[in-house]
Amino acid sequence: MSHDRASPDSTSAPAATLTTHWLAETLRLREAQWGHLEDARENMLARVQGRTYTQKVLLRAQALGRREGLDDLLASLQHNARIALFILVALATLAGILASAAALGDGARSVNVWPALLAMLGLNAVAFALWLLSFCIRGDRQGTWLSDAWLWLTRKLAKGPDAMLAPRALIELLGRSASQRWLLGAVSHGLWAVALASMSIALLVILSAKRYSFSWETTLLSPDTFVRLTNLLGWLPAKLGFPVPSDTVIRASDGLQTLSAQAQATWSGWLLGCVIVYGLTPRVIALAVSLYVGRRRLARLAIDSALPGFAELRTRLTPTSEIAGVDKPADPDRAVPHPGTHRGGAIPHDDAILVGVELPESAAWPPPGLPGRLINMGVLDSRAQRRALLERLHLRPVKHMLILYDANQTPDRGALRLIADLNGMAQQVHAAPLDQSDGAPAQRQADWASKLKASGLDDARIHATLQDALTSLRPALQDAPAHGETP
Amino acid sequence: MSRNNAVLHLAVVGHTNTGKTSLLRTLTRNPEFGEVRDGPGTTRHVEGAQLLVDDIPLVQLYDTPGMEDGVALLDYIDQLIQPGQRPDGPERIQRFLDSPESGRRFEQEARVLNKLLTCDAGLYVVDVRDPVLSKHKDELAVLADCGHPLLPVLNFTSDPRARTAAWREALARLGLHAIVEFDTIAPALDGELQLYDKLALLMDTHKELLGVLKQDIVEQRALRRHDARHTIADMLIDIAALRMSSPPDPESLENTTQSLRQHVRQRENRCVQTLLKRYNFTRKDFPNHALPLEGERWGMDLFNPQALQDMGIHLGKGMAAGAMAGATLDAFTAGISLGTATLVGAAVGGLWQGADKWGKRLMGRIKGEQEISVDDAVLRLLAVRQLDLLQALDRRGHAAQAPITLGDAAGGETNDDAAPLTRWRKGKLPDELAEARRRTSWSSMSPDYAPGARREHAVRELAARLE
Repeated sequence: MSHDRASPDSTSAPAATLTTHWLAETLRLREAQWGHLEDARENMLARVQGRTYTQKVLLRAQALGRREGLDDLLASLQHNARIALFILVALATLAGILASAAALGDGARSVNVWPALLAMLGLNAVAFALWLLSFCIRGDRQGTWLSDAWLWLTRKLAKGPDAMLAPRALIELLGRSASQRWLLGAVSHGLWAVALASMSIALLVILSAKRYSFSWETTLLSPDTFVRLTNLLGWLPAKLGFPVPSDTVIRASDGLQTLSAQAQATWSGWLLGCVIVYGLTPRVIALAVSLYVGRRRLARLAIDSALPGFAELRTRLTPTSEIAGVDKPADPDRAVPHPGTHRGGAIPHDDAILVGVELPESAAWPPPGLPGRLINMGVLDSRAQRRALLERLHLRPVKHMLILYDANQTPDRGALRLIADLNGMAQQVHAAPLDQSDGAPAQRQADWASKLKASGLDDARIHATLQDALTSLRPALQDAPAHGETP
Repeated sequence: MSRNNAVLHLAVVGHTNTGKTSLLRTLTRNPEFGEVRDGPGTTRHVEGAQLLVDDIPLVQLYDTPGMEDGVALLDYIDQLIQPGQRPDGPERIQRFLDSPESGRRFEQEARVLNKLLTCDAGLYVVDVRDPVLSKHKDELAVLADCGHPLLPVLNFTSDPRARTAAWREALARLGLHAIVEFDTIAPALDGELQLYDKLALLMDTHKELLGVLKQDIVEQRALRRHDARHTIADMLIDIAALRMSSPPDPESLENTTQSLRQHVRQRENRCVQTLLKRYNFTRKDFPNHALPLEGERWGMDLFNPQALQDMGIHLGKGMAAGAMAGATLDAFTAGISLGTATLVGAAVGGLWQGADKWGKRLMGRIKGEQEISVDDAVLRLLAVRQLDLLQALDRRGHAAQAPITLGDAAGGETNDDAAPLTRWRKGKLPDELAEARRRTSWSSMSPDYAPGARREHAVRELAARLE
């Protein structure tokens, strides 16, 4: 199944031939079995040159195949296959000649036409019928007999693991595109066609060069049967211009009477017609059909990314995202505001004040159970609130300050700077997280403590809980005069 | 380079530690992007990433440092403006960028604004667990001054402490009505699509581009699921077909059993690895796990009816192939040997097929060897676990840092209403697995591994059943 959106006819794409697909499949099997090869360079190449996923997989396979010498292996296999085919063609030619020679005999005695015809066409007919029959057998294991045998043979003969994978890859590839039976069929039809063609030619040559007499023999059947059979078989060749012996000639050809040379020529024409029409022609037609269907199926070859080995490739060859880099390197950490220092100018009042920093609206404010002497200055959030308090403290610095913050939030620079500013407005500044029903994570709490310390707060006055802060504030609160007012 | 004009530039902005880098990780499906840590100021520079469709960049995303000092920043910008002047938003920002503090106290904020000025739009990431505060409003005011549409992205919406309603209200008051909820750790299945939909509402000019991107997201997801189901089916066939024979004494049986379990574990691991890779996750996301894989089938089911039928088919095939070969020989001998070669071929072919497929096992049977294969229960468990993992991967954001924990799948008994899982737990095992059990050559772990079209067909069928 192909999910590629773009058309495959891009200029830089490799020809999606059987060989490239075969190479990709061999590589896939290899990688599925023994793990991925190092392929950074090849992937880059494939991504630059290919457009669709299929193209990229094929390009990658080409590059890797070249590196690993797989293409040579496939080339040598193809070369061997060609030699084997050539030998088979030679054998088929020879077989055709021998068959016609054997069927006609040495000419010493008359040729019995029916056994001769059977010897020349019988086996071909059986094999052809078997091929046709194979369409009726379960469609999904089509044409696997021969390929099973071939695979078994290659497993036995294989030299090295790659040599075994390549034929398997081809079989799997052809099986997937359902072109296996057609391509193998084309080979077998082709060989038969060659054999039958050579048979026909040999027949023609022998019949031209030697004298034969034709006859039929029977013990059981009547001569009429032969007349009918001969006419029946001769009907189609006759349409194509091959001669058919007349009824009288057929009746006379019982081997007991001497026939005219004309009658013998008619018989030999009839025999030749039968071989060509019933032997050669169906094979040639079947060959053409097989080639046509096989090629069409091959053209549909696609890379199925669901197969093991290809599945991992998709994210690498067609990534959906890519990191693009940074604008400029990060500056050294400026996040910590300069520590505020307590200005000694104004005489601090003996106040102890309570300030909340950026607390959520939902938080209970002021927290319950505070000593009355702690003056509540409210929660600081907006610009105006901040400015108002800072101005007030500037005029009237205080001795003690308790800052409550929300430890669920991230300690950001804005909050820390505000706390640092506040720190400059009081002699002793305590900080504690606001008690909340859902406790802040310990890591966040630790973040706050370290950031507060970096902002200039005294380590001893950074408390883990409000209760701790109040405990450490208690002596100061006892000294301080009671103030009821809030600003 | 004309394509470059069509690229949509998006700046991901927001307060510090709200998950801007996480959003980028999830959108790019890349867990390696940037640095993610629960603390302020983790990202300290602008980092870009491209979203590609067919290797063509469509969207350029920029991760920016967090805004941390919004209140003071707005204050400072206001101070820069002389009384009586009324510059527009971008002009105000430009004046700030030209000011000395943009290189010092507000250096991080300056980087953000610099980037947002050149982008087509901004995604404003909100950690909805935070309360709505003045600092957020102030920084939004500054960001809005850049003059580009802002789409608030509400992160951590599935957290119990989420204040989603409060945020929606506050953002609406600031004039931001197109809002998208997108949890970067566990995004909704159509979360990305919603995000781009909302973005398309804000940016009419890029509607088409976003449409292409959305289509690609849907296709890629379907492809991933398709590939993953295949991977799982392949593993199941591999394991179902695995058979090990052992001498009958208890010690050897024990050893073979252990070896079988070992093989099964390794095979499952390989499947996990492939799934993780396909979904762009790493072993960190799903660390090794010990499997309760007890359960083996003993004895040879060589003589059960199905196996015998199978043998019949094999012998028939062998005979037919042999007959063909013999017939060819007959042809070459010009019919002189008519029949004999065909007959001999059929006999040899049948014997060959029989010996090749069944000989070893028959010999083993005669010698009293035991064959061990995994039990149905193990196959069920494996299927359920992998499907569970697949579901977890499908829903996992690439920003998630806690490892995946599979639900109750491993337990087996507990409730789970997902139909395919129940079918795998209770129903009949698929025919493909029954067939795989009879074919040792289908197991990539067996020495006589010989896959063919039939195995591939079975994997495909099984993958379809995993739907």
